[in-house]
Amino acid sequence: MAAKVELTRPTKIELARLKRRHKLAARIQKIVKDRLSILIMEFLQTVKECATVKERQLSEFREAYKALSLASGYHGSVPLEKELLMSEMAIQLSSGMRNVAGVRMPLFEIDTADPVRSAVKDRTETSSLLDHSTELARKCLETIIELAELENSLELLGREINKVKRVNNALEYIVIPSLDVTIKYLTMKFEERDREEVSRLKYVKLLIEKKEAYAF
Amino acid sequence: MPSKTSPDKIIEGYLFDDVRVMNAQIPRERKSLEELLHEERPHVLCMDGSPHHFRKRELDNLSRMMTDEERHDLLLPILMEVASDRVEVIIRTRSGADAKVISAVLNMPVTVQDNKITIFRPQLQVIRKTLKTTTQYVFFT
Repeated sequence: MAAKVELTRPTKIELARLKRRHKLAARIQKIVKDRLSILIMEFLQTVKECATVKERQLSEFREAYKALSLASGYHGSVPLEKELLMSEMAIQLSSGMRNVAGVRMPLFEIDTADPVRSAVKDRTETSSLLDHSTELARKCLETIIELAELENSLELLGREINKVKRVNNALEYIVIPSLDVTIKYLTMKFEERDREEVSRLKYVKLLIEKKEAYAF
Repeated sequence: MPSKTSPDKIIEGYLFDDVRVMNAQIPRERKSLEELLHEERPHVLCMDGSPHHFRKRELDNLSRMMTDEERHDLLLPILMEVASDRVEVIIRTRSGADAKVISAVLNMPVTVQDNKITIFRPQLQVIRKTLKTTTQYVFFT
């Protein structure tokens, strides 16, 4: 795309202002490019982590469901459902924000996770199988929280990368070329003016010389 | 507390002109590891006013590799200077504590020259993987 000349008043002050703007735009573009490369690096790293955690989550879920089905087979579905309905687990989750190269991302951290408390008084209705499956379910919950943080971060990073890319492209293909062209246009205009001035002076000098020659 | 008694000259140096806008994520004031370990929810405020929280697990890991004096000296987040005209990334340090952390994370010795630790971009990934909340980028021209 050909850059357009921004119509401005052809003055030296304007040229100086444009040159200053050009320098600033080039400087900002450098930083934007750096930021983009860092954001892409963070994005790729988060993708890798996300894939690892997802894999772990799948295997944990597989284990948990296996344990649950064993417990269900041992206790029967009705007592198991009763046990599940009457048990609870308190979990304290603190959420915060972390800032990565200007992107605000969530930060989840499990402060305390109490062991599962069951309201079932009859100990014969519970077993180590059930305890094992609840322990696995707790692990699953922790992984879900971890994955939630990572996936949200991934989305935010992706959005920011798009935004920064647009800014970078605008600077690279529109702002800087247009400033370049305008500066070139003004510089040429001033050079033209200077040349005109020189030829005018030469002509005046010639006229004066002629006048002086005729006077003698 | 070192962050309150002595102004953080490193941060001051980063903040001028237009770079200030691009570096809204850097902290207004860094805190020592010791100070952060005593906080209920360890965080610092960024230039744009938003909080930046630290992961407690990360702080505990750092604490384990430090002596009491180093815990007092280590200011967090560790600032990593990224410049477009340089392949390497620079970490400015006032004490040897930063170097000890970076060296432990990279699992290799690092040299401090003129209060600067130089690392390369591939190493940046390793550092960021381990120290997600305790490091911060600074963009520099």
